[in-house]
Amino acid sequence: MAPNSVRQIATVAKYELLKYLRGRRLLAIVLLTIIISAIFLIVPPAIGAQYPKDPTQFTVNVLSFLGILSILSATFFGADAIVSEYESKTGYFLFPNPIRKTAIFVGKFIASALVSVGAIALYYVIAVVSVRVIDGSIPANTGLSFAYSLVYLFAILAIAYLFSAIMRSSVYSLVLTFFTFFLILPIIDAVGSVAKFKPWFSITFANGISQYIFDNPYPTDKIFTTAAPGASGVGVQTYSLAQYYPEVRLSLIVMAVYFIVAFVLSIFLAQRREM
Amino acid sequence: MEPIAIEHLSKKYGEYVAVNDLSLTVERGVCVGYLGPNGAGKTTTIKVLTNLLRASSGKAYLNGVDVIHHPKAALDGVGAVVETPEFYPQLTPEECLSYVGTIRGMSGEAIADRSHAVLEQVKLLEVADKRTGKFSKGMKQRLAIAQALLHEPSILILDEPTSGLDPRGMVEVREIIKGLIKTDITILMSSHLLYEVQEVCDKVAIIDRGVLQTYDSVANLSAGHDVTVTINTLEPITPPEFRAINALHDITSVKRTETLALKVSFTGGPEAQFRVLRGILNTGVKVVSYMPQRAAIEDVYLQLVPEGEA
Repeated sequence: MAPNSVRQIATVAKYELLKYLRGRRLLAIVLLTIIISAIFLIVPPAIGAQYPKDPTQFTVNVLSFLGILSILSATFFGADAIVSEYESKTGYFLFPNPIRKTAIFVGKFIASALVSVGAIALYYVIAVVSVRVIDGSIPANTGLSFAYSLVYLFAILAIAYLFSAIMRSSVYSLVLTFFTFFLILPIIDAVGSVAKFKPWFSITFANGISQYIFDNPYPTDKIFTTAAPGASGVGVQTYSLAQYYPEVRLSLIVMAVYFIVAFVLSIFLAQRREM
Repeated sequence: MEPIAIEHLSKKYGEYVAVNDLSLTVERGVCVGYLGPNGAGKTTTIKVLTNLLRASSGKAYLNGVDVIHHPKAALDGVGAVVETPEFYPQLTPEECLSYVGTIRGMSGEAIADRSHAVLEQVKLLEVADKRTGKFSKGMKQRLAIAQALLHEPSILILDEPTSGLDPRGMVEVREIIKGLIKTDITILMSSHLLYEVQEVCDKVAIIDRGVLQTYDSVANLSAGHDVTVTINTLEPITPPEFRAINALHDITSVKRTETLALKVSFTGGPEAQFRVLRGILNTGVKVVSYMPQRAAIEDVYLQLVPEGEA
């Protein structure tokens, strides 16, 4: 008799992890993490520059790559997790078994989350150890920053799964996931500065809390106004630009809502999807 | 409680009706050949039975459990090969079997024992620890059959099981199925190969444009349809020999096609075929070969499925 769903979820997660361990994507993420960390650590002394004197600033610099790492993890480990079962016909092997599609989905998500968390954790460890070795201290709020990064990671992973549950092609799902977080939402965030609306609803904007949490005090929104000669050199034209900062509580809520909605919706769609 | 029971099953894609009000019951220990032209609804039926598609209406039961509403419980004692499944290229056949075996709640020891047995049965034991990424279509089909047999299912659902196999592989898979038929297993097997179905199955269901055309035993379907055999002889058949053959019981027509060849048609199943052969030999004709030109099932199929659809 088929075991309960919890054991089946663990089985799916175990074999998904085995697939990741033998695949190239995990290796690519780990190598990328190490290379990027090395660039931050090796380049300054190599070009005769010094590391930032403020350990917090140094940590922020190193962690600036974290957003891209999270996007790559979500893309590599989530964007084709569901669609590939249909596209590559492995679903014909897995689905006609006594297991609910929900269990398959959750098992896959756990495996994706584990490897992605592993990649993010590795990056934090490298950053923290480097700062500790170079400056002899660990900036306050590093733990909080890590926690916020994980909330962001889970949210974009759930969205990647949603794309994977909707799309008919792995390539489209991979491209859509990557460009949504790498290009589309950051453009909306940037437009907010010019058009003077705060993109609090944008998940990439909300992710800023993992960096700004190092600032003391936590930054607040600002409007900059600059003056420039008017058209044909006549008169003076003033321009204003907003600098918005995500609020911690609201951003956590936004990311949590993205996670819950995307996760539930993708389970529902994956369950209804036919081979 | 019948192992497979389908009641008024329909599957629609918009306006297109893939399966239309299908009702079919398969008794325990029976092997049913599920025949029909491309797009007739065979694979759709099998996909509904294996929880790969949702039915638009109707019901389907496996071992008395509603597969549409309780697929996990319904598929517990079922092994299935649907189309030619792909396997995760990073995993070996042993790992693939361990994966589904664990999902099915088999113990580690049982998985190891049964994996060895089924991989030997499908002749994949030598590559049991090689990753499936570079496996041929035939090897994948063998592995698919192995995973379907792993847990010793009471119901086996096979969608064109010999598809992608070379002639030797086809024969071997047929032998595996024939071996299973001797047990209490119930088999529903779709196929395009009519002789394969006639050779292996007890009953035949023919579906066309989503509608079940007939469902009966191979013997009943064969009865009442002429079987034509081509007979090659060592020496030319003399007019008295020709008349003697024509006068044999069961014979419906005799036609000389070449100097050393005849086409003889008769009514009946394998027993009639034997009687005709014995009668021809008794006339003194030196028979070199005696080959049924086409299976009786083929006649039934061609009669029920109009031209241009296959």
